[in-house]
Amino acid sequence: MYDLIIVGGGIIGVSLAFKLAEQGFGKILLVERNYLGSGSTFRCAGGIRASFTSREHIVLMKRSIELWGELKEKLGVKYSRSGYLWLTHREEDLEKIKGYMRIHHMFGLDTRLVGEDFVKEVAPYVDTSKMVGALFDPLAGKASPFDSLYKQFLAAKSLGVEFLVGKEVTRIDIENGAAMGVLIDGEKIPARNVAVTAGACSVYLLERNGIKIPLTPVPHHAALTEDFGRLFDPLIIDVASGAYAVQTFHGNVLMGVDVEEKPFGELSVKLAFLEKVVSVWSKWLPWLPNVNILRYWPGYYEMTPDHHPIIGPVTPIENLYIATGFSGHGFMMAPVVAEEMASWITSGRPRSQEAGNLVLSRFEEGKTVKELAVIG
Amino acid sequence: MCERVTVEDVERAIDMGFRDVESLKRYLRIGMGPCQGRYCVPIVLGILSRKLGVPVEKLSYVAIRPPLEPVPARLFLRVKKDV
Repeated sequence: MYDLIIVGGGIIGVSLAFKLAEQGFGKILLVERNYLGSGSTFRCAGGIRASFTSREHIVLMKRSIELWGELKEKLGVKYSRSGYLWLTHREEDLEKIKGYMRIHHMFGLDTRLVGEDFVKEVAPYVDTSKMVGALFDPLAGKASPFDSLYKQFLAAKSLGVEFLVGKEVTRIDIENGAAMGVLIDGEKIPARNVAVTAGACSVYLLERNGIKIPLTPVPHHAALTEDFGRLFDPLIIDVASGAYAVQTFHGNVLMGVDVEEKPFGELSVKLAFLEKVVSVWSKWLPWLPNVNILRYWPGYYEMTPDHHPIIGPVTPIENLYIATGFSGHGFMMAPVVAEEMASWITSGRPRSQEAGNLVLSRFEEGKTVKELAVIG
Repeated sequence: MCERVTVEDVERAIDMGFRDVESLKRYLRIGMGPCQGRYCVPIVLGILSRKLGVPVEKLSYVAIRPPLEPVPARLFLRVKKDV
């Protein structure tokens, strides 16, 4: 009998497994139907910031950033507090980022307007000739999705967590209003608690139990160049288009920008994306047209109506928990989500009020939160 | 193999629990270099097959990400929007 079965082996599920194993929580099984990280985690850019525009995001991400630092110390995870840099070439965008900055300051975040000299220092290969202003967040940073998932996987495994990879949970076993385990290949695997951390697929899995969650997967796209030496340290954002670019720890430039996509759309590649992302970033990175694009892939943002995640119990069903709907921010939130989920599972309470505001029942009760800046 | 990965690295990773080629790719970076796996992925499949005792044809290949080979970014600037 397992004390907990985790359904979904992305960064959320693996971080939760590691967190609970560290706390000495009983027997844990994690089930992943494809390979670890194969859903959204290994498709994401790896940016990490607290500079949002809602109390929930800011407070939880400030804690998550502390925990990212601990993961780096404890496991040697590739994580760097190299900042976020919002670049503008139009006056109206500069006004927009000043508005963001006022919200950040209300919550004690030290974002600040920076000039050309500063940008040249942290981002020597960004062309500042058309820049009218920039906002820098020194607390933000980046981590390697591969490295952070694998190091936590290996650590969790050595602490006794069992991993079942390549098998699909077809259904949660719910009897008399309580989760009793999961079904795999028609066989019941009993557990005292079940946590669903299956990203966009959580919606299809819970549908089979008649549980509806307000989650809409929307395709997004990312492309990667060949690798170089140091080009720019912070994750950079073109405010006008919302496009982002980050230099990975290996040295490649990973870029994304919004293109028109339909909710629940298939993950397919679009030449229009490559045209847009190269054209947006050529403004700031004039050398970009001359370098090679190595890979391009799509992935889902699992959007909720208020663009905030769903974390906590699936009321009124007992012993069933969920963490999904990160709306593009799951990777950066993983450490704090693992901590909050561990608190829900072991004590029946969230660790913070802000996490408590993100329970599934908020949608029925009309207590949704608003996020004004979803980037990329 | 590319990305300076050795056969020993691959065998060690398999022993650590990376038992499919997608995970080996992301753990070791095999197939992420300039050749995009055209040379090394078949070799890795051979090692995986031997270690796991599973015929190569039963192991799945890595998902192919476009473009098939490195393409200069400037070519995409000439794409017509309605493609």
